[in-house]
Amino acid sequence: MEATPDCASKPCRIFEFLESSIGKKIMVAAAGVLLCGFLVAHLLGNLLMFVGGETFNRYAEALVSNPLLPLAEAGLVGLFLIHIVLSVRATLANRAARPEGYQVYTGKGARTPGSRTMALTGTLILVFVIIHVATLKYQLGGPKGVDLFAHVLGWFANPWYSIFYVLAVGGVGLHLSHGVQSAIQTFGFNHPRYTPLIRKAGLAFAFLIFAGFASLPVYFGFIHEPALACCPTEGGSK
Amino acid sequence: MNITLKVWRQKNASQPGALVEYTVKGIVPEMSFLEMLDTLNEQLIARGEDPLAFDSDCREGICGMCDLVIDGRAHGPDKGATTCQLHMRRYKDGDVVTVEPFRSKAFPIVKDLVVDRSSFDRIQAAGGFVSTNTGGAGEANAILIPHDKAEKAMDAASCIGCGACVAACPNASAMLFVAAKVSQYALLPQGMPEREKRVLAMRAAMDAEGFGHCTNEYECEAACPKDIKISNIARLNREFFRATLISE
Repeated sequence: MEATPDCASKPCRIFEFLESSIGKKIMVAAAGVLLCGFLVAHLLGNLLMFVGGETFNRYAEALVSNPLLPLAEAGLVGLFLIHIVLSVRATLANRAARPEGYQVYTGKGARTPGSRTMALTGTLILVFVIIHVATLKYQLGGPKGVDLFAHVLGWFANPWYSIFYVLAVGGVGLHLSHGVQSAIQTFGFNHPRYTPLIRKAGLAFAFLIFAGFASLPVYFGFIHEPALACCPTEGGSK
Repeated sequence: MNITLKVWRQKNASQPGALVEYTVKGIVPEMSFLEMLDTLNEQLIARGEDPLAFDSDCREGICGMCDLVIDGRAHGPDKGATTCQLHMRRYKDGDVVTVEPFRSKAFPIVKDLVVDRSSFDRIQAAGGFVSTNTGGAGEANAILIPHDKAEKAMDAASCIGCGACVAACPNASAMLFVAAKVSQYALLPQGMPEREKRVLAMRAAMDAEGFGHCTNEYECEAACPKDIKISNIARLNREFFRATLISE
């Protein structure tokens, strides 16, 4: 058994950190927190749909015409990969750590609905992201030859698409209900005065992210009058 | 009262085990859970059957030997208590109780409910100590320690190494144990000379034993008979991160 680390060189130390159980979870938490930053930015952009189709289209146009966008997208994919690959590796190691499970496992009530379902909600989010990027970014399926706002509304008009969207962002909310406070604990921050507050703030953040994203398909899919939604004559971006 | 027990019976590490049902008669509420198992063994021996193997030592909650999972809870239903501190007054006549060993790859089953927890000893031997010269005891007030730090270190040091944190963890992680052992020195000046070396070595030993990863489910804290706090795990995380960055 290799008990004492023998890392004289710095690269070896970094490798050892990334391979360690604690290092892996710090990396997963760091990638997760950065992905939360993306969620906030993405949500703020999406909420422009409520301002109006023209504003939303102008924002989308400005975003895709930014030459730095591919770099940001590559970074985003990198964050997803770090978060997913290390989580999957940790989950597999955790399964191996208890080869024979309990006949009865009740625990003492510390687990939350969010913490129990991290792998499930994580998988749901991955599936959703793939469908989401394919349908709304690369515009596979849905109405053709219209601006982005009309395209999104076209997809939200499909109730199954909207229901799946709401369920998936519900999965995001559940994932974050455990993830936010868990990441802060993983970074080594635990304080008798602030930790209870952080847990509440994490729940509030998770709910706001869910409510913010869910409001779009709920409003534009079920409440908003489609007749007023997209008049082809004034829908185009300038 | 009579209790129906579903107990994990397993001849040795290589043979598969299974839950076996027994009815234990003549239990009184004053008995501890372990005395109830003693009663079962007397009945088994009287019938000429192989008695149930389970660990116990001090039977007053300080040694950490009595490691049972009772109805899916490490050390049974009570908070802040070991199995030996659980009493039969918690149960009523006719109850069905499932008893299993602590389950983890790093705690191989020896027989029935007895597991080998020497993996904890190896983690401790990797760095859970301070190197100091022996000789006459130094002046007690030569090294000043703030009271709150001393209290926190003492809270961490109250870990009895029973392994309930591993048993209760959905991932069979030993983080709470290692966190307590790292914290009890990280909080005190006596632990400073070996601060980085200790946490790096104990983390490596922990992972080498095949324990799982901590995912902050906090079941360890809920199951710990000594109420070790998960703030120690946060300390372990930052001690490890710090040592990775600064140690040479």
